[in-house]
Amino acid sequence: MRWLTLYLRSRRVPMALAGAGGCVVVIWSLWSVSSDSRTVGLATVILTVLLLVAALTATLGGPDDALELTAALPWPSRRVAHLLGAFLVVVVPLTVTLATGARFGPAAIVVRDTAGLLGLTALGAATIGTPRSWFLPLGWTLASVLFPGETPLAAEILTWPAQPSSSQAAAVTAGLLTLGGLIAYAVAGPRRRAPAEAAQS
Amino acid sequence: MSRVFGIELRRSAARGTALVVLLLGLVLIFFAGGILFADGWMQLAMTQRWYLALLWPLALAAGGWQARREHRSRVAELFASTPRPRALRIVPTLGAMAVAVVAGYLAMGLLAGLWIAGTAEYLPAAAFGVAAVGCLALIAATWLGLAVGRLLPSPVTAPMLAIAGLAAVLFTPWATRPRGWLSLVFSPIDQMNMPDAYTTVPGRVSVAQACWMAGLAITAVLLLASGGRRLRVAAVLPVLAGAALAITVMPHHNRTVLDAVDPVARELMCTEDAPRVCVSRVHSGLLAEFTPRARAGLAALAKLPDAPAEVHEDTTVYPDDGRPAWRADVVLLDVVAAPNGHLGNESSAAEVVVRAFRGRATCENPSDPADDLAAASWLTGQAPVSPTPSTLLSAGTHDPETVAQATQRWQGLRKLPEDKALARVVALRQAAVTCSARDGIITGGTP
Repeated sequence: MRWLTLYLRSRRVPMALAGAGGCVVVIWSLWSVSSDSRTVGLATVILTVLLLVAALTATLGGPDDALELTAALPWPSRRVAHLLGAFLVVVVPLTVTLATGARFGPAAIVVRDTAGLLGLTALGAATIGTPRSWFLPLGWTLASVLFPGETPLAAEILTWPAQPSSSQAAAVTAGLLTLGGLIAYAVAGPRRRAPAEAAQS
Repeated sequence: MSRVFGIELRRSAARGTALVVLLLGLVLIFFAGGILFADGWMQLAMTQRWYLALLWPLALAAGGWQARREHRSRVAELFASTPRPRALRIVPTLGAMAVAVVAGYLAMGLLAGLWIAGTAEYLPAAAFGVAAVGCLALIAATWLGLAVGRLLPSPVTAPMLAIAGLAAVLFTPWATRPRGWLSLVFSPIDQMNMPDAYTTVPGRVSVAQACWMAGLAITAVLLLASGGRRLRVAAVLPVLAGAALAITVMPHHNRTVLDAVDPVARELMCTEDAPRVCVSRVHSGLLAEFTPRARAGLAALAKLPDAPAEVHEDTTVYPDDGRPAWRADVVLLDVVAAPNGHLGNESSAAEVVVRAFRGRATCENPSDPADDLAAASWLTGQAPVSPTPSTLLSAGTHDPETVAQATQRWQGLRKLPEDKALARVVALRQAAVTCSARDGIITGGTP
């Protein structure tokens, strides 16, 4: 328990949770106030998922990843648990809204996009470093929300975050990104910074 | 100073930002919605503005990212201890980011422009205004990103800025409803989608948008340079002044850009030798391609008595009373620029012949399109076909039902003796000229 508390604090998880929770409450309230429809628009749902994933991005790395690694702990399982926790932090509140006046759904899209974007972020954290890991998920999702493609298949794959839940290509793409990110992050962990950058957050 | 600026260009997020704007911009402008700028430079400038929908939020994020550089490198305290005033220290960063986004945006425009460089000849001054507002919007976005990144120093500021920026772009039209002109003031992408051939952006619109964006940029600089609370509060003034000025200057009509027509772009440019073929100025680069097709059409029409002698581009615009004067000796046909910049299939010789049977637009007894098509096919000797549409929104095509009917009637005509068939075709043409078309002219039925 002591370890968990220290770990969560070192990853600034309380801050991220507060931010994520605040975002959901604000968007939920805005939609409830401004729209008559009980179903939240797809673009808003996807952007909310992206917002939550971005808020959790900073927790993927600590203040000093190289130092952290020297601890003789089974890191891969902990990293997987971290990603799983992040997944639940995004999916659970949005699923809860399905019972309220502003429904963030369909659940299939929320689950697919959360998993895919978290995977992509984790992949980024393992390859280009945690501070930069939001670049690709953000650009990709914004472009997909604005210009979703339907045909050909390549367009469907390239704009997977904005595809309807029936799209198999989007589901497969999200699955591959999830798997890739999970494995890369679990095995390698966040990329260590160059020494000059090391002692900062 | 210039040495510092050079270092800042290399060591800041400037190069990456320029590259992202350029590459992403090119991908969007060519692949996101098809090529919407085949008509000319004005259309290119407007299409570029349309894709600010993505580039503008990303520029905000780039500013937010750049603002955290000193935190990331843990030199914020060190830099704060230097005697050089903050206002002076931020100038190279502001300059580098501005140069980056402007260079990326202009390079995107120039590279996309290569696509139409061979065919687009008309370059109106308003296009430069549209591009300048686009550059200013990106500068304001990066500077605002820098300012917000300084006020809220957190690793999630930059992605949040991008999402907030996109939300702002998406919801501005909705939030300002029903005053669409307000949306035009605040959103750089409003009414820029799928520009048509004779469109323009009135100078007042560009000036108003420039006022708003300049106000935003100045506020961002003040926020960034400010040391104390008082100056930060005062920093709100430029953005308010910019908004007020923009609202005053902007014409208070909801479809200012959508309904704008550039009369110069719409003027006809003609061949010097007869038979005259005329296209609008915006399509003047297509005249050489269009002339042989138009003349082939006129040659096929020569069998008719009082055959048309000229082909003009149909420069009809809505909702203006913008119809070209109808004359019996002129065939009006849309000149369509295909996505590859060249003349579209809709502007073919066969279509010139079809349009010769079209009466004036105000005529209350228009002929059956299938009759027109059958008569034209009889004149050219080729089976009726619909031109393959060169763009998704192409209006110059015939629906399959019309083509099937026309084929039937054309075969009926071919079975008749030459002079009888000609008489029917001539009768159809006369009916078009005198606005007295009825069913059965081609099939030989009685009215």
